[in-house]
Amino acid sequence: MKHSSIAISNLDFSYGSSPALNDINLEIPAKSVTAFIGPSGCGKSTLLRCINRMNDEIPIAKITRGGIYLDGIDIHDSSVDVVKLRRDVGMVFQKSNPFPRSIYDNVAYGLRLQGSLPKSVLDQSIEEALRAAALWDEVKDRMNESAFGLSGGQQQRLCIARTIAVKPSIVLMDEPCSALDPIATAKVEELIWDLKAHYTIVIVTHNMQQASRVSDKTAFFYMGNLIEFSETSRIFSNPRVKKTEEYITGRFG
Amino acid sequence: MNSQHIFRDFDKAIDALRADVLLMASLTRQNLERAMCSLLERNIDLARAVIADDSDVDDLERKIDQSGMEILARFHPMASDLRLVVTSMKMAHNLERISDHAVNIAKRSKKICKSSVLEEVGLAEPLYSMADSILRDSLMAYTDANAELGQSLKARDKELDRLQKQMVSALSRRLEDSNGRSENLLHLIFIAGSIERIGDLAVNMGEDAFFLGEARDIRHESRKNLTLDPTEESADD
Repeated sequence: MKHSSIAISNLDFSYGSSPALNDINLEIPAKSVTAFIGPSGCGKSTLLRCINRMNDEIPIAKITRGGIYLDGIDIHDSSVDVVKLRRDVGMVFQKSNPFPRSIYDNVAYGLRLQGSLPKSVLDQSIEEALRAAALWDEVKDRMNESAFGLSGGQQQRLCIARTIAVKPSIVLMDEPCSALDPIATAKVEELIWDLKAHYTIVIVTHNMQQASRVSDKTAFFYMGNLIEFSETSRIFSNPRVKKTEEYITGRFG
Repeated sequence: MNSQHIFRDFDKAIDALRADVLLMASLTRQNLERAMCSLLERNIDLARAVIADDSDVDDLERKIDQSGMEILARFHPMASDLRLVVTSMKMAHNLERISDHAVNIAKRSKKICKSSVLEEVGLAEPLYSMADSILRDSLMAYTDANAELGQSLKARDKELDRLQKQMVSALSRRLEDSNGRSENLLHLIFIAGSIERIGDLAVNMGEDAFFLGEARDIRHESRKNLTLDPTEESADD
């Protein structure tokens, strides 16, 4: 477990009386991209949201057994500050959700929450985040314009910049490209590839070509169970489990 | 994978691809059989037919490559489907080369048939029988994704190699007192070489069938094992 950035151990999770995840055991390596794939309702997004305790906001949702450990620390331990946890474990959603503010303010938002910083330090951090999100060259001359003036692909990269500006160790991505055209998708995928040098990335995607392009490891879920977890090349060329083969070859249901 | 794909078009495309490979295999085997018949029965017309019909095999190779590319581009097949497409394209390539060897045999057969009877042509018959049986089983291994059968062909090809060497050595001895038959004996030596190459190509197809069934590449493994074998090294020392 000590070599893994995220360790999920014997995890059971329910929405009220409906179990959504059953006995999940998974060790996600640090500084790599791990993809969660599976049909709708298989539990992949639920598990993703467990990693930064987003499901805490749903009253009937609860972990009934097992736990999640980040670098060996149980994220449900009473000593864990949830706000700090969500800063360490950033999240990018399916639909880009910039705030109705300027490009600059969007990226500065999380940094300002951490306390007041000198303008020069703030400027420097914002430039670094935008450069890391491969957006700096496109927005550097319009930092005070509304974020809503950006294209869909630029807005999603802005959200990634906003996420990484607070220097998380883990970035969760829930279908980050599903609303983007192929060119914008390619830019985000290239960005994901670059970001893994510094961050542990977990991505939920319905697009199997995307999973095969961007991830190092892939986990296949079905009906709340983890069916197979292996190197991405293995999963997409020669999966061990018949169910995985049926899913990735399109012979399912 | 026997179950249906979500896209029926995909199943249709894969079925058509596989059918084209089997058609190409059938034409190739027929060409080889006719080339050998023309040699053994001194039938020049059969040899001419083999040379003319080779273009059908060439056309099928192009068609299979085109269909394979289209499937890759349109459906992005994965796992066993991906292996089937890649293997089918490689099968087509090997079959085309086998058909070329059948043409080589037919061309030499035509020349032999124009001279007086060459009794040594009978030496090629057991060689052909063995090569054709390896070829037939390599096609069966592909059709059934039978890895075990695909892998077993290598050993039989060694026996074919042995027979070919034996034949070449017998013909070489006769070359010395050939009484003007040397040209035809040389044609026969080259025919034996073509049959031996057909065995090699069938082994390649068997290895591809193994990859199709087991997702493991066993090509050149015997050579690798040979270099990695410590007893071999100590023997060299």
